[in-house]
Amino acid sequence: MDKQELLAQLYESLLDTDPEAAATAAQAAVDGGVDAMEAIHVASEAIAKVGDLFECGDLYLPSLMLAGEAMKRSMAILSRYISAEQASQSKGKVVIAAVAGDIHDIGKNLVATMLSVHGYEVIDAGVNVPPMEIIDAAQREHARFIALSALMTTSMPYQRDVMDLLREMGVRDRFFVIVGGGPVTPEYARLIGADGWGVSAVSAVRVCDRLLQSNERPPVKSTFLQE
Amino acid sequence: MTLNRDRLMDVLDKAHKGPIVKQFDWDTRVIPGAIADKLKKYGLQKTCDPANPINQNLELADRFFEAGLEVATEVGMLCTDTQRAIRYSREELLAGLAAAPAAFTLGEGKEIAHFQHRSISDPVPPIWVSPLSIAVTEDVFEPLVVGIAGVPEVDCLEGPSFETIWGAPLRAGSPYELLAGKMQAERFYSAISLAGRDGIGLYAVGTSPTHYGVLGGYGVPGGYKPERDIVLVLSPVEIKTSYENLMKLAHAYNCGGQTYGGSWSMIGGYAGGPEGAALSCIACTIMLYNVYQCVNGASFPYDLKTMGNCGRHALWALGLVFQALSRHTHICANSVLNQTAGPVTECLLYESAVGMMTLSVCGTSSCTGPRTAGGKFTNFITPLEVKFAGEVFKRSSGMSLSQANDVANRLLPKYEHELGHPPKGQSFKECYDLATLQPSDAWRKVYDTVKNKAIGAGLPL
Repeated sequence: MDKQELLAQLYESLLDTDPEAAATAAQAAVDGGVDAMEAIHVASEAIAKVGDLFECGDLYLPSLMLAGEAMKRSMAILSRYISAEQASQSKGKVVIAAVAGDIHDIGKNLVATMLSVHGYEVIDAGVNVPPMEIIDAAQREHARFIALSALMTTSMPYQRDVMDLLREMGVRDRFFVIVGGGPVTPEYARLIGADGWGVSAVSAVRVCDRLLQSNERPPVKSTFLQE
Repeated sequence: MTLNRDRLMDVLDKAHKGPIVKQFDWDTRVIPGAIADKLKKYGLQKTCDPANPINQNLELADRFFEAGLEVATEVGMLCTDTQRAIRYSREELLAGLAAAPAAFTLGEGKEIAHFQHRSISDPVPPIWVSPLSIAVTEDVFEPLVVGIAGVPEVDCLEGPSFETIWGAPLRAGSPYELLAGKMQAERFYSAISLAGRDGIGLYAVGTSPTHYGVLGGYGVPGGYKPERDIVLVLSPVEIKTSYENLMKLAHAYNCGGQTYGGSWSMIGGYAGGPEGAALSCIACTIMLYNVYQCVNGASFPYDLKTMGNCGRHALWALGLVFQALSRHTHICANSVLNQTAGPVTECLLYESAVGMMTLSVCGTSSCTGPRTAGGKFTNFITPLEVKFAGEVFKRSSGMSLSQANDVANRLLPKYEHELGHPPKGQSFKECYDLATLQPSDAWRKVYDTVKNKAIGAGLPL
């Protein structure tokens, strides 16, 4: 196959939301002499298309999650062939979790996948995660963002606990913190001092992008809100 | 009906010895694969008809049930703590459904609520369980419960739930939740006594996101009473259970109580579009009645885009699920209605009008609601929308599917454009006099306006 065919194969494997095929296609691309950065660019285009299809209702959550996995698998291969300088072009790491007491994962999975397909490196800490574990993960991973999901009013206090812990531990300025979930309002996000709040998974990506573009250090002066 | 120990032990055994399925595979391959396969096999793809939000084709409902039974047989229910699937044969699943009662009661004395299986267009009015567990502040709990219990259409109570406990934030899965379980029972009994409805049945425990609230509040001295109140066991999507759920089940067994099994499927979520969500709900309901031995409950669809189930696609799926369950089981199926708008808005009442009518004519035995303003805002629930929803639910019993479909098509244009960005409205404190428990003139006017328009559209209110 020539380079264009190899890139097309990678693009199609991601559109097909097939993790195995995406990994194989990524390896075939670099083995065939395709520049890794060019392959990453094509993969990003494919995954953006997947995101668009999801937003339009033409793809559903399982496909989106598989696309995220496919992107992760292909990036694990392609990133071995790029320089450290090129690698730093990733938007940054996000540690995401549904906070303690909350086992609802759809919203968290949606946000994780949408962030992933938009160029963020996502560390999914899971559901029902205690505040200190979330902070430990963020520190261990040198994350830029902490994203906290809560679907119940009774799990929302744990979002606040994370904020309080970050301040008390003196590490608040190391992470942008975004919050979301059914009962989590913009007012609550402001109240607990989060840096961003979004109404949907798409909003979450926009909030993170805006926080990066703001050139502010956390905590930001006023919470970014995205309908 | 108390729980059978052998069946309970069998569930626990299956949860620890069933086939291993990783949750990521369950979410991305097992569920979507089984749903897609059965939709295709039974010719159910693209059968959603938004122009007829209440399904008129009962043969279609029959095919959905058969397909749902096959999904349930094939996938079972995933226990997320053990990453194993609880599975039964088709015959075992049907036997489990057959073992569920066709009628049962909650409450005591003159307040006993008689639940029974309902057929499509059944003239017997269904049971109204209200409200959902919407968070309220402690000062609001008592007047709100007194107000809601004062609505004659209300047969049983579930919510509201507390935002704080004696001033402290209520943290799920913590000792606060354990304390809140009993506190909620005590506050409920006090408020219903003030309302003169001492014997009304309670769904326990609204303020129990994990099992701790149930352990702390059900069957303990001064807490919810197993002989008259029922334990809520709410399963995570998609067709999953967990130790939290199974501990609630075990506690209900220990206390000699009855169980309610509930779950949901999101349109746009793991099961796909409205057809997939409907199919998933039917399969999940079959599993709920087998795993939890519940006397009441079901899985219901709602829409990921609007976070409600009063839009056309969700209504179609909602009605179809309960038509299928009504025609092929004798269970006392319960649905939840998720409204998106808040009090003092016409949108909220129109959502209730169409949604409650749909559930009533499609054969639900009972409904729990409303989820005013999507349950997003503290203190956004009032007795007036509870009353309106109850009136619609009971008085639309006996309507034909065709009549209901016509009414839905007349009323949907009045609110469906607002579902993406529903109006928030006002809180209980803002639109009610808490001393007299009377709604504001503005809220009363909205109620009268929508009621008149609903009557004009053909609702027999």
